[in-house]
Amino acid sequence: MSNEPLVLGIETSCDETGVGIVRGHTLLADAVATSVDQHARFGGVVPEVASRAHLEAMVPTVQRALDDAGVTLDDVDAIAVTAGPGLAGALLVGVAAAKAYALAAGKPIYGVNHLSAHIAVDTLENGPIPAPALGLLVSGGHSSLLLVEDLAGRVVQLGATIDDAAGEAYDKVARLLGMPFPGGPPIDRAARDGDAGAITFPRGLTAHRDMEKHRYDFSFSGLKTAVARWVEARQRAGETVPVNDVAASFQEAVCDVLTRKAVAAAKDHGIDTILLGGGVAANTRLRSMAVERCEKAGIRVRVPRPGLCTDNGAMVAALGSHLVAANVEPSDLGIPADSALPVELVSMVRHEARAL
Amino acid sequence: MTSPSPVRFEAARVEDTKAAGERLAKALRPGDLIVLIGPLGAGKTAFTQGLGAGLGVRGSVTSPTFVISRVHRGPLPLVHVDAYRLGGTLEVDDLDLDADVADSVTVVEWGEGLVEQLTDGHLEVRIERRPDDVRVLTFTGVGGDWPERLAAFADGARA
Repeated sequence: MSNEPLVLGIETSCDETGVGIVRGHTLLADAVATSVDQHARFGGVVPEVASRAHLEAMVPTVQRALDDAGVTLDDVDAIAVTAGPGLAGALLVGVAAAKAYALAAGKPIYGVNHLSAHIAVDTLENGPIPAPALGLLVSGGHSSLLLVEDLAGRVVQLGATIDDAAGEAYDKVARLLGMPFPGGPPIDRAARDGDAGAITFPRGLTAHRDMEKHRYDFSFSGLKTAVARWVEARQRAGETVPVNDVAASFQEAVCDVLTRKAVAAAKDHGIDTILLGGGVAANTRLRSMAVERCEKAGIRVRVPRPGLCTDNGAMVAALGSHLVAANVEPSDLGIPADSALPVELVSMVRHEARAL
Repeated sequence: MTSPSPVRFEAARVEDTKAAGERLAKALRPGDLIVLIGPLGAGKTAFTQGLGAGLGVRGSVTSPTFVISRVHRGPLPLVHVDAYRLGGTLEVDDLDLDADVADSVTVVEWGEGLVEQLTDGHLEVRIERRPDDVRVLTFTGVGGDWPERLAAFADGARA
């Protein structure tokens, strides 16, 4: 028997009901139920629909994870749950369920940060994370550069998007090009047959004057507008829009800025490891460009397999396991779901009033 | 019931779009609803960033597309909604708005035809992007006392 902590993690911040079970750094189960089919008729995630779907999927998904791992709730050492950030109603279902399981089974509960969980998931594939490390977290809702001094409690946001998240820019450009939601996979596919150098789209916040005030921040709104303008100009002229070239050139601009700023942040802080996380980290061009540029800069880059980049319960369990091993105090049963939980709060110990 | 005299501004740069929002903020009061219309990249979020600056609300105003809605606390709170993914079959309750519309200024992007019933009247802000990249902002007061308030705002802007 291992004395490493056995942790069950619950994730419901958006449209995936994820339940993962982890022992130490070993993944035992990763059960996911998605409500994406129910959202498809609305063309995207609808908060109330997501909340109801989580409610229906919760108990069966927990049971499936326990069965897959071959353990019972009694065997579990702790329950971890995403306390925020995310959709308020969706988070509430996961937090309420986690409290109920914790109370019923007499287990400690850890209300954890969704963003830190995206970083922690890498421990399941590549082992402990060196400190300090730099996290580049990119998804539909987030684009952040995180200085991870200690995954158990000291995570600092160096920068973030000042307008659209990277994944959101993918969704909006996909919309312009007549591709389905979510936009990441179809643009990634189209880009493979396109010329990334065909069109030079702007690189947001990389000009000299921007680098002083927004050195580690991102902006993808201007890029989205530039793509819209370019496409509309072709359409007005009655020309065919070279969709593959637009997709490849757009993707090149996004990945260029993300990797350039991540490498600069790592160098500035003397960090030799960059961790990629979030749904956009499943993008093939971002992965290859990150590897290429980090290699050149003598930085090690770690990226979980695509299945662990998107939202899942395993990442929450992985962070929970790390917190248990680091003897971090568990959360009070009175903790709320916090849709705007700041990055700096890796786990929420008790309900504290804080200024928004 | 639409005001016969919409108010128009031209914005050559994104800073001008923000400034228009900042000016409008001074004329707003609790319960106001602004329906923001314009294509991708028109500057809807930029306009709302100006509104947020003018209202002096906390938290940086970024695109609400992914989270659907975001509440910014302040002397007059700002509720920023992106209704693009909400179909006409949905109720506003489905937004799970974590704030009272009556106490806040509510700005809804892509909300045309969806949210007007929230209040008696509303201000429609339409942003068009001309081929020369200049934005044309058209303010139209719809219902309530918006036509009169808009006329007063336009007089103030000219003065």
